[in-house]
Amino acid sequence: MTHLPDPIRQHPSVTVQFCSPDRRYEPLQSIAIRYTVDLPPGQVARAVERSIVWYTEGKGEEDIGVHTFERLTDRATAEATTGGFESRLPASPLSYEGVIVKIRWCVRVRLFFDAGRDFVSEHVFDLGRVPAAAFPGRS
Amino acid sequence: MRLPRFFSKKRGHRRTGSEVWGSVGEALFHAALMVAGVAFGGLLVTGIAVPEWRINHDFIESRGTVVGKGLARRSTGGSAAAQASWQPSVRLRYPAGAEAAEAWAFDGPEEPDRARALERLDRVRLGEELPCWYDPARPAHVVISRGYNWWMWALTLLLPGALLAFGGAGLARSLGRWGRSEERQAATGHRPRDPLAEGAASTTGHPGIPSCEDLVNSPGTILRYRLPIESPESWNLLGLGLFAVLWNAVVALLAVNAGLDLLGGRIDWLLLAVLVPFAVVGVGGVVAFTRSLVLATAVGTTQLEISAHPLRPGGTYEALLAQGGTGAFRDLEMSLELEERATFRQGTDTRTDRLVVWRSPLGSWQGLQLSPGTRFEVRATIHVPAAAMHSFASEHNGVNWRIVIRGRPTRWPAFTRAFPVVVFPLSPGEPAA
Repeated sequence: MTHLPDPIRQHPSVTVQFCSPDRRYEPLQSIAIRYTVDLPPGQVARAVERSIVWYTEGKGEEDIGVHTFERLTDRATAEATTGGFESRLPASPLSYEGVIVKIRWCVRVRLFFDAGRDFVSEHVFDLGRVPAAAFPGRS
Repeated sequence: MRLPRFFSKKRGHRRTGSEVWGSVGEALFHAALMVAGVAFGGLLVTGIAVPEWRINHDFIESRGTVVGKGLARRSTGGSAAAQASWQPSVRLRYPAGAEAAEAWAFDGPEEPDRARALERLDRVRLGEELPCWYDPARPAHVVISRGYNWWMWALTLLLPGALLAFGGAGLARSLGRWGRSEERQAATGHRPRDPLAEGAASTTGHPGIPSCEDLVNSPGTILRYRLPIESPESWNLLGLGLFAVLWNAVVALLAVNAGLDLLGGRIDWLLLAVLVPFAVVGVGGVVAFTRSLVLATAVGTTQLEISAHPLRPGGTYEALLAQGGTGAFRDLEMSLELEERATFRQGTDTRTDRLVVWRSPLGSWQGLQLSPGTRFEVRATIHVPAAAMHSFASEHNGVNWRIVIRGRPTRWPAFTRAFPVVVFPLSPGEPAA
């Protein structure tokens, strides 16, 4: 379970619970997410986007691939403080900790407020069990 | 006070700048291009299209008598290197409504050669009657030929058209992304693509894994597939060849002009001064191309065949290496490598870094002596580690598996030839291959 600390309570916080406690999944396995939104007093979300994406990190420009994407705009759902969604993960790409290229999987919950402001909460998990790459020259 | 950054910049693992300001800047840039296209197009339409259309539709037909003729001279460039052109002109007297008018009209296009312009002018006789068309709003404006210059239209509309298309498409793209999250852009296909990035098409059912169709469409002579070679040297060779041909074509044109001048008893020192360094560069280009060609062909071809494809983690495969050519080799090595590729922007440049993060030697052979008509053939066993990362390719990043051959001939520089292979991940529950 992830909790983003926010002691002065000016920003929203999103708590996410994965169905697998160690956040490690196998390709084609189902994933179920529960999340709780905690908004500062007076703030109301007008839309929520929840997605499962992979993205690259490292030396290169960031690439992103969307596995599931859902945008909820009806007032009742957007204002709800809890939610959940499920999906079957794809066969690839697997999470990878390379030297100049890394592949990360994550769940993102993005809240939209008035005046075009938004807040995104990202929660990383692993797909597959590929060990980290060794440093150059080591085999 | 900190001013907002319009364009984001990658610094290590973090990115500076504001996406919102970046989008605003991008939209403004494309809007400016569109406005420039509209303004430029408007100028061309009012300056060329409308006058030509009016001549063909509004001007009134009449018949005029030639009362004078002459050559109009137009000069371009400074006084020292002025280029003149000549246009035959006739002075016409013609009835314009109830009154008689008299005005100059140009007869045909401009000529760079004065003698030819005079020749055309001689064909017009004083007192001759010619059909003419005058402007009813300004009877002193008369022409003696009509029609449309379609080439001029196409050429003049090309630039504003390109500005409008580029600016309009960019503005539409910026507006389409406006207020959309990164995930939504990616999900709906509005995320911008980098035209300089290498990205490859994914295999169906395996997102992010490059397709291996091009790697299995060539059967081997002994093993199942013959792998294509990845050879940046071939592109370098092609680039050098194109440069040498195009550059020397320019040199040849300059040389012909200089030769004609010399035959005519004139020496154009400026042309000669340009020709000499151009010729030196041209010869250098030919030498560089010839050297690259010799190096690429002298060593002989390398072929690699493999027993199965795509590869799987934990799998063992057979490979057949065949090295052609003549002469002696100090050694020849074969290895399986995992290379990471990262493409990033640095200022206005797009750079690609490659790093081999894992290497496994497959074989090494010393003291080879190759003779014409025969080739060195050897079999090797390839083992892909059970925990190996699969091949991956996205727009700016990649994890590439390849079999690399390194050779050191005694008479030629060392060479490296790479043969890409694709490694698929194991399916859940599937035992290691």
